[in-house]
Amino acid sequence: MANWQVALGIMSAYLVIAMAIGILAGRGRDKASLSEFATAGRGLGLIVMWFLMGGAVFSAFSFLGAPGWAFAQGAPAFYILTYTAFAILPWYILAPKINAIGKKHNLYSLVGFFFGRYRMKSLSVLVGAIAVFAFIQYLATQMTGMAIIFNVMTEGRVPIWLGALAAYGIVVVYVATGGLRAAAWSDVFQGALMIIIAWTVGLTIVFQLHDSPAQMFEGIARDNPGFLQIGVEGSNMSPMAYVTVILVSIIGFIMWPHLFSKSYVTEPRTAKKTVLAYPLFALFLIPLLLAGFAAVGVVQAGDVDTPDNILPYLITTVMNLPGWLYGLVGAGALAAAMSSADAITHSASLEFHDGVVKTIKGDIPEATTVTIMRVLVVVIGALAYCVTIFGGQGLVALLLGAYGSIVQFAPGVYGALYWRRVTPVAIISGLIVGTVLNYFFQLSGIVVPFDIHPGIAGLAANILVVVAVSYATKPQEKAIVDSYVDASLDSSYLATESEPEPAYR
Amino acid sequence: MTKQRFQKVFIVVMVLIFLPTIFPIFGLANRVEPLVLGFPFAFFWVVLWIVIAFSALLVLYYFDPEK
Repeated sequence: MANWQVALGIMSAYLVIAMAIGILAGRGRDKASLSEFATAGRGLGLIVMWFLMGGAVFSAFSFLGAPGWAFAQGAPAFYILTYTAFAILPWYILAPKINAIGKKHNLYSLVGFFFGRYRMKSLSVLVGAIAVFAFIQYLATQMTGMAIIFNVMTEGRVPIWLGALAAYGIVVVYVATGGLRAAAWSDVFQGALMIIIAWTVGLTIVFQLHDSPAQMFEGIARDNPGFLQIGVEGSNMSPMAYVTVILVSIIGFIMWPHLFSKSYVTEPRTAKKTVLAYPLFALFLIPLLLAGFAAVGVVQAGDVDTPDNILPYLITTVMNLPGWLYGLVGAGALAAAMSSADAITHSASLEFHDGVVKTIKGDIPEATTVTIMRVLVVVIGALAYCVTIFGGQGLVALLLGAYGSIVQFAPGVYGALYWRRVTPVAIISGLIVGTVLNYFFQLSGIVVPFDIHPGIAGLAANILVVVAVSYATKPQEKAIVDSYVDASLDSSYLATESEPEPAYR
Repeated sequence: MTKQRFQKVFIVVMVLIFLPTIFPIFGLANRVEPLVLGFPFAFFWVVLWIVIAFSALLVLYYFDPEK
């Protein structure tokens, strides 16, 4: 049998297993329960939680993009390790507080969190819209990754449209039927598979192409001076760009609604343990960077369409590897992309529902809400699919572009939790200024002075506006402010009926 | 240790561990030589601080009054 046939067989087998796990996880649960669909009954355990949060960093971006960055950029790729390890840390403090607020107000989305404190419909719509837009870009990234993998591993026999449809179609099916629980259990399988494959394949590549990592890096340093450093002659990134891309990734990480809303679904103790174990994910990424560095000097930049293709290119073209290894890399990359895509698709349906449907329609019975969310999973999936097939940019540019807008939620989130004086008008003004500024710099291609990341430039303006406008407007009603700022897990807080009116009618 | 005090300690410790991974402190480690375990020094430096962060988290969790 030819290599591509073996690879196709293994990848298909992987897809069948992923689908089976996703569908089985959701079986026997209450199909009409909003709490089950949105939060898996607010009780996910440590292992499941760890992989669910980990699925977010172990995406197509890390599996294909990280080797791509190492290959094309060199040292700037270290930023991926730094932000993976550190971005989760604020969650240690935030998750218990958000969890308490969520329990009291019965929340499951980021939009609901904003509305509960700021009580402003236009803000809900804006947050929902930015979130869904960023999600669609993010999903397109994952889908492009899945499609590329299918295409390259079968030596061009599975076209882009079909690969994306097959892999992402399965995600949509199990998320629509099983909700968060299905996404979570699929992530456990996909995450474990991915980690094993990353190490086996990464190290195989390094030791086959070079005698040892030391020789490999000495060779790179000799032939490309500056490539393994930042901000010197011959390197690809300035110190300011490096620092601000790390900062924007770290501040923005927990603002992603699919991660933020996981504060609601797990006990604070489990959330804290998840944070503890999280830096390990950064270490799991090391072999993927090594694989990218291994290609430097072996593959010419012009040989691959985009740097993101470097890992599949190495496997299929440069090295003489058996077909089953093709299949394993394919399955690993699919797992990486799918474990991000499921959580995002799920969350996108919740945010769009709360931001737009609930804001406009108001009172909806629980069973109808769940049905609307299932339909939204399919609609958002279809939309993202169209963007993928008819759109198209580099993986990393897409992800960072979306990240830039998501980080603009940070003043609203931190303000809601810690600042009594912040006002709704200030938050929406800041959000608009920050988002517009970010998009201006990203779309116009004008470089921000000092090489600062557009997202950080937007955030700085955002914060200034929030502070200035807050002091120029009237403070919020005390009872609403207290129910957020004073939130804790005390039984007295959760029991008191101090809330002036329910967040949603 | 009270909850507020623990949170302050947590934030200070984690910021101190994070700072060496970005400029200006990262500038001290921004070089290839000496290779450590086969890794360029900058690469090793980033991994080192991640391992330190992981260890510090374990210790901090032990002292968390709300665990």
